[in-house]
Amino acid sequence: MDIQAIHPDPTSFWKKWVFSTDHKVIAKQFLWAGLLFLAFGGALAMIIRWQWAYPESGVVSPAQYNSVFTMHGLIMIFWAITPAMIGCFGNFCIPLMIGARDMAFPKLNMLSFWVFFASGLMIIASFFCKMGSAGAGWTTYPPLSTSVGMPGLGQTMVVLAIFTTGSATIMGSINYVTTVIRLRAPGMGYMKMPLTVWGLWLTAILNVLFVPVLAAGAVLLILDRHFGTEFFLAGAAAGNANAGDPMLFQHLFWIFGHPEVYILILPPWGFIGDLLSFFARKPAYWYRGQVYAMIAVTVLSAIVYGHHMFMTGMNPLLGTGFMLLTLVISVPAEMLFLNWLHTILRGSIRFTTPMLFALGTVFVFGLGGLTGIFLGTISTDIYLHDTMFVVGHFHFTMAASSFLATFGAIYFWFPKMFGRTMSEGLGKLHFWISVIFITLVFGGQMWVGYAGQQRRLFNPFEYEFLANLRNPNYWTSMFAFVLGIGQVFFVLNFFKSILAGAKAEQNPWEVGTLEWTIPSPPPHHNFDVIPTVHRGPHELGNPAVKEALGRDWIAQDEPPLPPGPAAAATQAASA
Amino acid sequence: MNALRLLRRALPLLALLLLAPQAAHAVVKAESGVGFPHDASLDGHRIDWLINITGVFVAILFVIMCIWIAWACVKHGRTHAAEYDHGDAKKSVTTALVLSASIFFVVDGNLFYWSVVDLRDAFWNFDTPRENPETVRVEINGRQWAWDIRQAGADGKFATADDIVTLNDLRVPVGVPVYIQIGASDVIHSIFFPNFRQKIDAVPGTINRLWFQAKETGEFQIACTQHCGVNHYLMEGVITVMTPEDYAAWTAQAGRISTLAYDAEDPSTHWGWEWKETD
Repeated sequence: MDIQAIHPDPTSFWKKWVFSTDHKVIAKQFLWAGLLFLAFGGALAMIIRWQWAYPESGVVSPAQYNSVFTMHGLIMIFWAITPAMIGCFGNFCIPLMIGARDMAFPKLNMLSFWVFFASGLMIIASFFCKMGSAGAGWTTYPPLSTSVGMPGLGQTMVVLAIFTTGSATIMGSINYVTTVIRLRAPGMGYMKMPLTVWGLWLTAILNVLFVPVLAAGAVLLILDRHFGTEFFLAGAAAGNANAGDPMLFQHLFWIFGHPEVYILILPPWGFIGDLLSFFARKPAYWYRGQVYAMIAVTVLSAIVYGHHMFMTGMNPLLGTGFMLLTLVISVPAEMLFLNWLHTILRGSIRFTTPMLFALGTVFVFGLGGLTGIFLGTISTDIYLHDTMFVVGHFHFTMAASSFLATFGAIYFWFPKMFGRTMSEGLGKLHFWISVIFITLVFGGQMWVGYAGQQRRLFNPFEYEFLANLRNPNYWTSMFAFVLGIGQVFFVLNFFKSILAGAKAEQNPWEVGTLEWTIPSPPPHHNFDVIPTVHRGPHELGNPAVKEALGRDWIAQDEPPLPPGPAAAATQAASA
Repeated sequence: MNALRLLRRALPLLALLLLAPQAAHAVVKAESGVGFPHDASLDGHRIDWLINITGVFVAILFVIMCIWIAWACVKHGRTHAAEYDHGDAKKSVTTALVLSASIFFVVDGNLFYWSVVDLRDAFWNFDTPRENPETVRVEINGRQWAWDIRQAGADGKFATADDIVTLNDLRVPVGVPVYIQIGASDVIHSIFFPNFRQKIDAVPGTINRLWFQAKETGEFQIACTQHCGVNHYLMEGVITVMTPEDYAAWTAQAGRISTLAYDAEDPSTHWGWEWKETD
C-alpha cells in the first residue's frame, strides 16, 4: 500500500511535540486541551451551584452569572467533551484500530488542532472584554444575542470562537470519515471494525453534515451584530418593519443542535460496546444489531430537531410529526441497551476501572435516556420545557454519559498512549465518587425541575412557588462540590502514572483489536507491516481458540486457526 | 386495524393497574417541595397524570435494568466461565426486536397517544375558548423584564383607548376559558403558568397564543422560562383568579382608571393589536 509509506520519525522538538502531524501526538494535544477546559468548565459549574446554594451571597452579579452559565455550557460542549472525546480518541483510536499508519490528511489534522487552539484562546480572551464574556445562554438565541441584548465585544468573540472551533471540527471530521473509508487494513471490512470506530465514524459524518449549519448561523449572527443586517431581528428592535425572524436562528441552531446531542453520545456508545465485551470476556452481543442501531440513530437524529421548539408556537401537525419521530429513537436505543445487558450476562466479568466506567455509563445513560421521553411529547413538555428537568436530563446524557465513557476510554487506552499503567485503586475511587455524585447532582436537578423550577435563574427563590425548593437545591450543590473535589483523584492518578506509572505491556487487557498488537506506546508509523485482518474485534472466549492457543482471546490479525473440529465449527458460525 | 383498536383500549387499562403510586403521590403535599405546584386548572391533571404514569413505566424499566446489571455482576464475575455467544442467532435477534418493539408500543405508545389526545381536546384546542361566549381574552406583551397585560375594556375591542392595561397583574374570572395572545417587543420571553400547566414563547414579530381555565380562585405566579437577560429571574407576574362578581367589579373600576390614564401622545403604551381570530 504505497499511500501509506513509512515516513522517518521527526527529530526536532517542534516537529515532534508541537507542530506534529502524528495522529497520536495530536490526540494527546486534544486530550490535554480538553482536560484543561474540563477543569475550567467544571469550575464555572461550581459557581452556578454556589449561587443556587447561597443565592444571597453576592459572589457573582446577575450579569456575571449569565456569563458563567453560558460559558459553562459552551466550554463543556465545544472545548471539553469535543476535544477530549472526539479530538483525542478519534485521532488516537481510528488509525490504530483500523490498521493505518496515520490519518488520511496528517497536515489537515495538525491544522485542525491549531485552529481549535486559536478558538480556545478567543474563549479565554472573551472573559477579559469590557462587558464580560457571552451571556445569552449556550443556545445564543437572538435577539438576546444580538446588540439588542448583548452589546459587549465578549459575545462577538464567543460567536467567532464557535465558528472557529466549528471549522476545526469540520477539518477533523473530514479526516476521520476519509480515513475510515480509505485506510482500513486488508480484511478490515466495515462489519469487522470495533464499535469504537463505528461510533467515532458516525459522529464524524454528523459533524461534517451539521456543523456547517451552525457555522452559517454564527456568521449571520455576526452580520446582525456588526454589519447592520436584520436576519434575526423583529418587532421594536428591528429598524425595518419587514425585518427578519428570530425563529430562523432557532431552526439553524437545532438542525445542528440535535445531531450534536448524538455527536456526543455515539462515541460513548462505541466505547462501551467494546469495553463491556472486552471485560465480560465474551463477544459483543449481536454486533450487527448494535451497528444498525447506531446507524438508525444517526439518521433519525437529523429529523427530530423540532422537539426543541415545541413551545415556539409550532404548527400542531408539525409538532405531532416531530413528536412521533422523536419517540421512534427509543427503539434503536432499547436495542442497544438489550445488547449491552446481554453482553455482560453469562460473561466472566473483570471489574477493571474501564469496565466500571462502562457499566456506570450504562447506568447514567439509562437514567438520561428514559427521562428523555417526557420531553419528546408535547403535552408533558408544556410543563417541563425550560425547567431544571431538561437540565438534569441532558446532563445525564451529554455530560454524565459522555464524561464517564470518556474517562473509561482514558483509563483503557492510557497504557497504549503513554506506555505506562494507571493506578487501579485511585481509578476505582474516582469511579465511585463520580458515578454516585453525578447521579445525585443531576437527579437533584430533575427533582426540582419536576417541581417547576425554571432554568437559568440567578435566584430561583425570588419565586414564591419555588421557595420550598431551597433544600433540594442546597443539597444538590453540596453533592456537586463533592463531585468536583473528587476529580482530584483522577488528576493525581493521571500525573502520577505519566511520571512514574509501571511500564505498560503490549496488551495488558488481553484483547484482540489491532492497537494491542503493537508496542505501548506505538512507534511513529504504528505498524511495521500493515496487518491483515481475519476476524471481528470481539473474538473472546472462543473454545476453539482456547483449545489451539490456550488463551481466551485472539487478535484480529492472527492467522486463521488450523482446521480442527471445534475450529471448523466456529469458522462456520462467524462467517 | 382491530388489533390497533384493542391496543388502544388496553393501554388505559394497563395504566389504571399502575395507578397505585399516584395515590401515594396525592398524599404528598406539593408545598413540601417534592412534587408539582398546586394545580388550579381544569386540564392540568392530564399532564400530571401522563408525567406520573410514564414515570412509573420508566421506573420499572430502570429497576429491571439495575437488577439485570447487578445480577450479571454478582453471578457472572471472574470465576464464571464466559459463554461464547455472538447473539446473532435468529432467536436472539427476534427476542431483541420483539422486546424493543413491545416496550416502544406500551411506554412510548401510551405517552404519544395521550399527548395527542390532550393536545386535541385541551391544551392546543383553540375551538374551546373561541366558541365559548364567556371566554376572557387577554393580550400580553413580554419585554425586559415585565409583562404588559391588556384586556379589551367596555367596547370589547383591543388597541383602543378604553383597554384595561396593567403591569404584571393579570386578573381573570374562575370557571371560564382564558384565551391569551402574546408577543414580545425586545427579546424572546416565555410565559409560564406553573399552577395552570401552560407555557408558550413570546417572540418578537410573532403572536402566539395559549389558553387555560381556572377551577378555583386565588393568587398564583406567572414566570418567565426563556433566558431574557440580566433580570430574567425577576420577571414575575401575578395571576389573580376571581369570582365572576369580583371580576366584573374589577373590570368596571380598572376600565375607568385605564381610560383616565390613557395617553394618546405616548406610543410606547400602544403595543396592543386587533384580536386575531385565525383558523
